[in-house]
Amino acid sequence: MAPTYNIAMVSDFFYPQPGGVESHIYQLSTKLMDRGHKVIIITHAYEGRTGVRYLTNGLKVYHVPFLVIFRSATFPTVFSFFPIFRNIVLRERIDIVHGHASLSNFCHEAILHARTMGLRTVFTDHSLFGFADAASILTNKLLKFTLSDVDHVICVSHTCKENTVLRASLDPLMVSVIPNAVVAENFKPLSPSENPSYPPPARPLTPHNIITIVVISRLFYNKGTDLLTAAIPRILENHPNTRFIIAGSGPKSIDLEQMIEQNVLQDRVEMLGPIRHEEVRDVMVRGHIYLHPSLTEAFGTVIVEAASCGLYVVCTQVGGIPEVLPSHMTVFAKPEEDDLVAATGRAIASMRANKVRTELFHEQVREMYSWENVAVRTERVYNGICGAISEGEFYGYYEGGGANNSNSWSATRGRSGVQSFALIDRLKRYYGCGIWAGKLFCLCVIVDYLLFLFLELWFPREGIDVCPDWPRKKRKDSRE
Amino acid sequence: MAPPSGLHQSAIPSDFEKPFPALVRSSTVPASLKSHRADPSHLAPEDAYTPTSPPRQAGIFDTGLDSRPRHIRRNDTSRSRSRRRKRFQKLLWVKQSYPDNYTDQATFLENLQRNPRVQPYDFWPLVADSTVILQHVCSVIIFIVCFVGIFQERVSPVSVVGWGSFATFLGWLLWDWWMTQEDQISAGESGDLTRSMRDGRIYREYRPPRRQDSTSGPGLHQALPNNISTASISSTSNLPSAASSTTNLLQYSHRPNPIPHQHHENASQNPAPPKLLTPGHSHSRSVSSVHSVTSQNSANSPTSTRGPNHDLDPDSLPNTRAYLRVSTIKSAILIYFTLLGLSPILKSLTRSTSSDSIWAMSFWLLAINIFFFDYSGGTPSHISGPHKTKKMPVASLSTNAALMASTVLASRLPSTGQVFSLTLFSIEVFGLFPVFRSYARHRSWRYHFLLTVLLVLGAGGGVGIILGDASATSWPWKRGLAGMVIGCLISAVAIGGCSWWLIGMQKYKNEIYGPWDPARPIIISRRHWDDD
Repeated sequence: MAPTYNIAMVSDFFYPQPGGVESHIYQLSTKLMDRGHKVIIITHAYEGRTGVRYLTNGLKVYHVPFLVIFRSATFPTVFSFFPIFRNIVLRERIDIVHGHASLSNFCHEAILHARTMGLRTVFTDHSLFGFADAASILTNKLLKFTLSDVDHVICVSHTCKENTVLRASLDPLMVSVIPNAVVAENFKPLSPSENPSYPPPARPLTPHNIITIVVISRLFYNKGTDLLTAAIPRILENHPNTRFIIAGSGPKSIDLEQMIEQNVLQDRVEMLGPIRHEEVRDVMVRGHIYLHPSLTEAFGTVIVEAASCGLYVVCTQVGGIPEVLPSHMTVFAKPEEDDLVAATGRAIASMRANKVRTELFHEQVREMYSWENVAVRTERVYNGICGAISEGEFYGYYEGGGANNSNSWSATRGRSGVQSFALIDRLKRYYGCGIWAGKLFCLCVIVDYLLFLFLELWFPREGIDVCPDWPRKKRKDSRE
Repeated sequence: MAPPSGLHQSAIPSDFEKPFPALVRSSTVPASLKSHRADPSHLAPEDAYTPTSPPRQAGIFDTGLDSRPRHIRRNDTSRSRSRRRKRFQKLLWVKQSYPDNYTDQATFLENLQRNPRVQPYDFWPLVADSTVILQHVCSVIIFIVCFVGIFQERVSPVSVVGWGSFATFLGWLLWDWWMTQEDQISAGESGDLTRSMRDGRIYREYRPPRRQDSTSGPGLHQALPNNISTASISSTSNLPSAASSTTNLLQYSHRPNPIPHQHHENASQNPAPPKLLTPGHSHSRSVSSVHSVTSQNSANSPTSTRGPNHDLDPDSLPNTRAYLRVSTIKSAILIYFTLLGLSPILKSLTRSTSSDSIWAMSFWLLAINIFFFDYSGGTPSHISGPHKTKKMPVASLSTNAALMASTVLASRLPSTGQVFSLTLFSIEVFGLFPVFRSYARHRSWRYHFLLTVLLVLGAGGGVGIILGDASATSWPWKRGLAGMVIGCLISAVAIGGCSWWLIGMQKYKNEIYGPWDPARPIIISRRHWDDD
């Protein structure tokens, strides 16, 4: 019987705000609960949503009132989250604190306090950062601070792992790559039973059939909208029987509209404006090809969704995108206007030649990405950091040679391969962050520890009620 | 704790002779984490080559194309050993037979690039560029020296401001002459055809005699009816060959880039080396022949219908220049009288403040001036044309700080005349002189160098004199000379040392690029959306 854990997911970003991180947390929590764990979510208060909420499947969400400064990220006060965080953790008897998103202040604070309280911590990184500009340098320093004393880190792609390892100076072995997933049931291709107003993708395609290219993205610079704006007129010029459907909004939409006006493409480019995540599938199934011109992307869930809907994917070869889909589902382009036009041309040609078996994509994607799989792999991380599976199995060391093995644990990583909680060990880890930063971080950790002692005295553990658990699900037998 | 020491770095630039060491974890790891580095149970780079690795079996992904040594991690359980056969792939959709935290030595960070776009500095260009800073520091020092001289009543304030104003006037004349030339070049670019048509033929006859006798102004004035004003202005500035070089520029005016003209013009203007004059001469002659050909062609071509449009250009040009001159003189007079009126107020402005505070305050203000000064030498917008450099927003802070410093310093002075003199001098030094300096640098490297030497000598000598005994009766030229020598030495050492230091620090440069960086889109048909 594998152990089950009480897990707290902490992030600034959660519903009701829509987004990729939000749905990741929700889906992962749901699947972990299905596997018999207890999961709660701690996030900040959104408008009209303060206090404790239960979602329909028994997922408990704490909305902590906190000052929000920018794009629903909270104000970074290093210590002020500690009292209420400790209260929640003790009430819910949390074993593992799992933080999400590197721009989330809540997550960083929670990891710091959780380590002070002697809990295991996991951090999931969802995004890529550069190293050049001042904002990135600051973020990276903060990330280094938090991740100096984290038990394990999860990244959504191998590129993201490389990025995070460099940014936070981590041991690559304590960074796992667990991709995002899609709910394949929500992204089915058009079935014959559905009778929509628009014609389903007829096959075989003849040169006279209209091929529809779908673009769904926020229209920002880093999503490559400039490339799209430059490429669309040329694609439409080269390929007569094609049209575009563009969904999404953003500051660059005005450029797109100007392009449409200038080239008089109103009847061939349809702009839908912002759409809800539930409607994404309905837009996708109207097309044959999905075009994704992004300039940076950690994972690119949307191209998985598009492939799941049975669309042939044309995407730029940036970030983690090349890892996501097999080559028979995608055409890669360099982030250049010419190459994007050429790649789209190749995609249109192979669609017309009926070389692409898009009707098989849905089943294949369903096999590749599922949240159950993500939950299983995340559970292995939890087992590893809690010592339920041995250090050798988790970190992949050979355990042969018993003499060596007895010495194989260090001061910082304990005998079972997990990070030591001793304050002096933690200080050692923080001290290495930099000449000045190391000392500053040590100071923060010491203050945090003193705060912890003070809270233990002032609000003793006995005085905090333990809340009754939602009835746990029976753990299904793990298939893997 | 395993270092990814076997990182493959695909593209290390060859900018540096000495290759960087591989980015190993040991260089970035906190010191405490290094303690168990030698731990045998941890992954090490040599593990990738251990002879005990299990034999590789061809899996479905093992196409044999890639024979990189891969790291096989031993595991005692035979189950996992049998599973670890397939090569690790950096793909997410493949069901890997490796754990999630497996780090493949061969592919991990293989796309990392370090310092791919570094341009190494060269010593002498760096020194040359840093003279801009030296110039500004020297002019600030000269200002301080003048203040101290006035304050100790060793220098008459009237002489300071008189010489300053005279230099400013000369500088303005020079600047105005340059501006006229620039305008004519730009006008010549636009009105190229007509000009060559109308003037080129005339010059063909005039050129050989003018070249031999470069001071023959009057004949040229007749030949150039629409340039009378500029020619006369330049002749007032005691530069005899100015008129000829102006017309010379007109001859070149069909060429798009103004910079080569300046070099030619400077070369021909300099009377000392005759060898410099000769190539310019032959070149201009060939140009004039080209002109004649083009003019004859264009006279017959229908493009000459654009004529009336260009007739306006040269006529309106002197008018705008004259208008600008009048307005400049007007504003100069305005500033002069405003300062005259304000001086009594300024004199008593900080009477209640102690001198120590004023010294400290002016020190900080001048430091702000030096640190925030716009050293980019923002070339005037009409020269740089469409490539407008963005103005540094703190550049005005610099000027304002300097004027504030001069105001508080002037308020220490006892008489109204002294206050007026110092304030006017500060406006000249901090307001007008930087414009002239950047222009001179833009015009010619020679001017820039000359100006730098003069400023260093002036500052050094001034400091030497000021530091001397105030009660000395005779003119302390010895001290001044010593100050000049020491000033030159100090500035040479400072410039050279700082440049050398900066070059030496380049080895710490560590820019990291990789697939996580946002790609730079290459868009050819950029139309109107390149505003960001």
